[in-house]
Amino acid sequence: MSDQDQENQAPDATSAAIDIDREKGNFKYAEDYAYDAGVGLNPGVIDYIAKVKGEDEWVREFRHKALKIFESKPMPTHWATKDLDNIVFDNIRYYLAKGQKPARTWDEVPDDVKATFERLGIPEQERKFLAGVEAQFDSEASYSRMKEDLEKLGVIFVGPTEGLRDHPEIFRKYFGKVIPIGDNKFSALNSAVFSGGSFIYVPKGVKVAAPLQAYFRINAENFGQFERTLIIADEGAEVTYMEGCTAPKFETATLHSAVVELVALKGAKIQYITVQNWSNNVFNLVTKRGMAEEGAEVRWIDCNIGSRLTMKYPGVVLKGEKARGEVISIALASHGQHQDTGAKMIHAASDTTSNIISKSISVLDGRSTYRGQVVMPKSLSGCKNNTECDALLINTNSRTDTYPAITVRGTQNSVQHEASVSKVSADQIFYMMQRGLSEGEAMSLAVNGFVNDLVKEFPMEYSVELKRLIELEMEGSVG
Amino acid sequence: MSQALEITNLNVSIGERQILKNFTLSVPKGEVHAIMGPNGTGKSTLAKALAGHEDYAITSGSALLDGQEIIGQEPDAIARAGLFMAFQYPSEIPGVTIANFIRAALAARQPKGAPFDAKAYYAELYAKMDALKMDRKFTARSVNEGFSGGEKKRCEILQMMMLKPSYAVLDETDSGLDIDALRIVADGVNKMRGPDVGILVITHYQRLLDYIVPDKVHIMYDGRIVHSGDKTLALEMEKKGYDWVKEKYGVAGA
Amino acid sequence: MSNATIPSSPIASDEAFSAALRPWAPQGAFADLRKSGWERFRSLPMPRRLDEKWRFANTAEVTLDGFNLAAEPSAAARSRIAEKSHLVDDASARLVFADGHLVHATGISAELAAQGVIFEPLAEAVKRRPALLEKYLLKSGTNLGGDKFLALHQAYCESGYVLYVPEGVVIEKPFVIYNWSVAPDAAFFPHALVVAEANAKVSVVDFFMSDTATAQALAVSASDIHAAHGAGVFRKVVQNWNETVHSHQIDCTHAGSDAEVTTVAVNLGGKRARFESAVRIHGKAAKVNLYGLTVADNRQEFDQRTFQEHNAPGAFSDLLYKNALLDGARTIFSGMIRVAPDAQQTDAYQTNRNLLLSGDAEANSLPGLEIEANDVKCSHGATTAQLDESELFYFLARGIHRETAKELLVFGFFEEIIEKVDNDELAAVLRDFVHAKFRRRAAASA
Repeated sequence: MSDQDQENQAPDATSAAIDIDREKGNFKYAEDYAYDAGVGLNPGVIDYIAKVKGEDEWVREFRHKALKIFESKPMPTHWATKDLDNIVFDNIRYYLAKGQKPARTWDEVPDDVKATFERLGIPEQERKFLAGVEAQFDSEASYSRMKEDLEKLGVIFVGPTEGLRDHPEIFRKYFGKVIPIGDNKFSALNSAVFSGGSFIYVPKGVKVAAPLQAYFRINAENFGQFERTLIIADEGAEVTYMEGCTAPKFETATLHSAVVELVALKGAKIQYITVQNWSNNVFNLVTKRGMAEEGAEVRWIDCNIGSRLTMKYPGVVLKGEKARGEVISIALASHGQHQDTGAKMIHAASDTTSNIISKSISVLDGRSTYRGQVVMPKSLSGCKNNTECDALLINTNSRTDTYPAITVRGTQNSVQHEASVSKVSADQIFYMMQRGLSEGEAMSLAVNGFVNDLVKEFPMEYSVELKRLIELEMEGSVG
Repeated sequence: MSQALEITNLNVSIGERQILKNFTLSVPKGEVHAIMGPNGTGKSTLAKALAGHEDYAITSGSALLDGQEIIGQEPDAIARAGLFMAFQYPSEIPGVTIANFIRAALAARQPKGAPFDAKAYYAELYAKMDALKMDRKFTARSVNEGFSGGEKKRCEILQMMMLKPSYAVLDETDSGLDIDALRIVADGVNKMRGPDVGILVITHYQRLLDYIVPDKVHIMYDGRIVHSGDKTLALEMEKKGYDWVKEKYGVAGA
Repeated sequence: MSNATIPSSPIASDEAFSAALRPWAPQGAFADLRKSGWERFRSLPMPRRLDEKWRFANTAEVTLDGFNLAAEPSAAARSRIAEKSHLVDDASARLVFADGHLVHATGISAELAAQGVIFEPLAEAVKRRPALLEKYLLKSGTNLGGDKFLALHQAYCESGYVLYVPEGVVIEKPFVIYNWSVAPDAAFFPHALVVAEANAKVSVVDFFMSDTATAQALAVSASDIHAAHGAGVFRKVVQNWNETVHSHQIDCTHAGSDAEVTTVAVNLGGKRARFESAVRIHGKAAKVNLYGLTVADNRQEFDQRTFQEHNAPGAFSDLLYKNALLDGARTIFSGMIRVAPDAQQTDAYQTNRNLLLSGDAEANSLPGLEIEANDVKCSHGATTAQLDESELFYFLARGIHRETAKELLVFGFFEEIIEKVDNDELAAVLRDFVHAKFRRRAAASA
C-alpha cells in the first residue's frame, strides 16, 4: 500500500515541522513522573490512565477494547488527505494528569501569536493562559458560583471521570452509544485515552438559560487533547454549550482528538457552539454526533479558524418522529491550513427535518473541504433535508472541494442540495474602494458579508470577535 | 334541481386553524358574482377548498354544483363535474406543453376510448389564443414555465375557455397584472359570460370589476360573507376601504 | 474479422485472450496495444465495496464470469438484425453490429469520401489507418474507477467504428451505429472513435439494443471522442439492453479550444449498468454540455460517474442528469467538476435530479467539486423527491385523472432531456422507448 510506504519514509520537512521537537522548544515537564504516562501508546498506558483516575473496571475494559480497535483500523487516507500519514503516534504523550502542562515562558510563545493577542485586545492574564504559559486565573470563583446555581436546578456538570464514577446510572447508558468506539480510527483513539471534557445532565423540563461553557471546566483537568463530552438533555430540557474561544489557542500537543456525544430526549433541545482556533501546528480530528428523540432538536454551530488540519463532520441521528437536526458551519482556511469539515444527517424516523448550511473561505493556499452525508431509508416518509454549501475563494491559489453523499429511499422524502463556488465580486470591491476603503478593507468587508448570516448564530460576544478575527486573517491576502 | 353553485355552512380548517366559518353563498348559473375582502379573510381558502385541495380540511357543510355534491370528491372529479378554478399562483409544469396539457384535460372529459378530434381541437385552441392575443408559439411551451405573471393568467383564462366549465372561480386573477393584461383577461371572461355559466370572481381590488361588471358583490370577512349588494357596492368599497368592515364585523376585542 | 473458429472459453482466461488475439498478430502495434490491455486487466483487482470510486455500487453483482466471445450470428439472425436497425434513417451512414460482428454497412456518400471523411468498422481501420489509431485510440482513461474494464475492453477491442472528419467539413446528418446483443452469454467490446478536426462538425447516434428480452450478455464499450479547435461533436447514446445485460460504458472525451461538445446519454436497459464519462477540456473557451436520462425499474442498478475536467481557462461545461426510479431500482450519480489551478474564468455546473416513483427505490447522489482556481463560477445541485404535489393538484383541478396526471408529469420530467437530442426522428424513438418502459412498469406496480 502506498499509504504505508509514505508512513515508513523518513520524515520529510513537513512531518518534522509538526513533531514535538523537545530540544528546540525546551519544554519542561513536571519532575514527578508518577503523573505522566510517557510517550507512545500501549496497553500499559491504558492501565496507567485508568489507575491514576481510579476508574471502574468496566471503564478500563472499555479503554482496552478501544485501543485494539484503534490499532486494527487503517488510516482513512483512501478518502481523506494523505497529510494524516504525517501523524507519528509513537511521539505523542497521551496523558498528563491533574492540570500538568509543559511549563515554558512567555518568551517562547511565537511572535505571530503574541501579535494576534495584542490586536484582538486580549487581557494580559488571558494571553498567558491561552499561550499555555500559565493556568487560568479568576475562573475558579465564577466556576463555583455557576456550579451552585446549576445544582439548584439538578443539573450535573462534571468531568468524565466523576461522571462515570459518581453518576453511572445516568451516563453509562449513553456513553459510547451515540458514537461507538469503532465509528472511526480517531473515535477509537479517544475512547482509549480520553481525559477531560464535560459530562452534563439536564433534568426533565429544565431550561438552562445561560450557555454552559467549557471555559469553566478548564481548571479542573488537563483539557483539550483527548477530551470526551457527553450531554444528556432529558425530556423537554434545553441547554446550550459553548467550547473554545476566538483567540488563537497556542498548543504544543500536535494531535487533538475529541469525541462529543449529545442526547436530546423527547422534546429536548441542545445547541452546541464551537469556535476552534488552535494554533496551526495542530491536527484536530474530532467526532461529534447528536441523537434526537421524538420532537427533539440538536443544533451544531461550528466555526473553524485554526489548526493545520481539521477533520470534523458533526452529525445528528434523527431517531424520533418530528425530530430536527441542524449544522451551521463556518470555515476559514488560510496559509498551510486544511479545513475538512461537513455534516451528517441520518434520518431514522418519519417526519424528521434536517438543515445544513456551510460556508467556507479559502485564503492564500488554504484549502477548505465540505463532506456531507444525508441518509433517508426506505421505511420512512415525510423527511426533508436542505443543504447549502457556499465556498469563497480569495486568492488564485486557494482551493475548495465539495463531496456530499446523499441516499434517499421511502415515500414523500425530499432532499435538496446546492453548492456554489465563487470569488469576491470585483464590482463589489471597486464600489467599496470608490468610497475610500482600501482593497484589503473592502475584501474583509465582503468576506464578513459572505458569512454574516451565519455569524449571527453565535452569541453576541463571539460574533463580534469572529468578525474581527476574519478581518485579521484576511490581512496579507491582497496586495 | 337548482341551477347554481350552492355553498351552505361550509367550515374549513388548515391544521388547527378554522378559516371558513359557516360560509354560505349561492351563485346562480348565468350570473357573475364578486367576492371582495381584506387579505387573510379566507378568500383563497374558499377557492382551494371548493377545488378539493387536500390541505384544506372541510369539517362540515355542503357545496352543490347544479344539485350535485362536490364536497369530499377528488379534485379531478370536481373539475370534470364542471367547476373550474383559475389559480392565483398557477404551477409551472416543465416538459408538458400547453397543447398537450389542455388536450389531456379535454380527453379526460370524453368517454373512455372515444376518438379525439385533434384537428378541431387545434382550430379551437388557435382561435381562443388569438382572442387572448397569445402567440401561437405558446402551445409548444411548457405550462407556465418561465411565463410572466400576465402570461400565466392569460394561460389560465385560455384553459377556462377551452374546458367550458359550468362554474368558474377566479382566484385573484387580477393580481400581478398591468392594465393591458387586465383588460385582455377581462375580455376573455366577458366572452365566457352567458346563460350556461356561473362565475365567481375573487378579488382584493375593485379595478377588475371595472372590466368584469358583476351582478352581485359580496364582502367577505373572517371566513364568511358579511354584506352583499349590487355592483355599486364595489365602488363603495373602493371609497370606504375595508376598515369599517373590520370594525363592524370584527371579533370583539380583536 | 470472424471469430467463428474461437472455442468458447471464459473471457477472463488467457486461452480466450490468446485465441482472440491470434488473427491480429500481423498488426503489430495494434496487437501490442491489446496485449498491454490484457496485462493491465490481469494486474488490476475487481472493484471492491470500500473503493471510493465504487461507493454505493453493489460490487458483489459486478462479474465477468460466464461470458464468452460470441460466434458470428447466423445468416438469418444477421438479416433480422439489419432489418430491425432502422430507428434513425435520415442519416449520413449506418453500421450494424451483432454480438460485436459487423452485419450491415451503409457507407458514406462519394461526396463525403471525396472530402476525406472516414467512416468504417474499427477492424478495417486497424489495417488501413494505423497512424490514425496510433494517435487517438485508447490514449486515456476516465480515472473514474473502471480501469479494469477499460483494460479488458482494450484487450478485446476489435468491434466498433472509426469516424474521422477533416478540418472544416460540416456534416448535417448523423452517423448511426447499432450494437445488438443476440446470443446468450455473449461478451463483446464495441469501440467508438470519433475525431473532428478543426472547425469540423459531426453528430453520431449509438444504439445499444438486445435482440431478445432474456439473453444475458456482457457489453464493455468504450469511446474516444476528440474535438479539435472550433470543432463540434454531438453524440447521442441510447442504451436499451434487455434487463439481464451487464453493461459497462466508458467514454473519454477531449475538447480543444473553442470546441463545442454535447452528449446525450439515455440509459434504460441492463441488469447493472455502469456508465463513466470523463470530459477533458484542454483548450480555451470550449463549451461542453452533458445530458443524461435514466429510467430505472425492477432491480436495475444504474451507476453513473462523470468528470468535468477544466484544464484551460474561459471554458464552459454544464451537466444535467435526470433519473426516474421505479420498483426496487437503484441509481448512483457521482459527478465531479475539477478546475485546475490555471483554468481561470471557468463556468462549470452540474445538476442531478432524481424522481422517486417508488418507496423501495434508492437514489444516491455524490455531486463533487474540486476547485483550484478562484475566478470561477461553479455550482452543483442535487435533488431527490417524489412528484410535486402542487403540480399534481394543478392537473387534477383541470379534471385530468390522477394516473394520467402522474404519467404526464413523469414524461414532462423526461422531456427536458429528450428535446436536447435535437433530432425529431430520434426524439420520437426515445419517447417510444421511455414511455413503453414506464407504462409497462407502472402497470405492473399499480
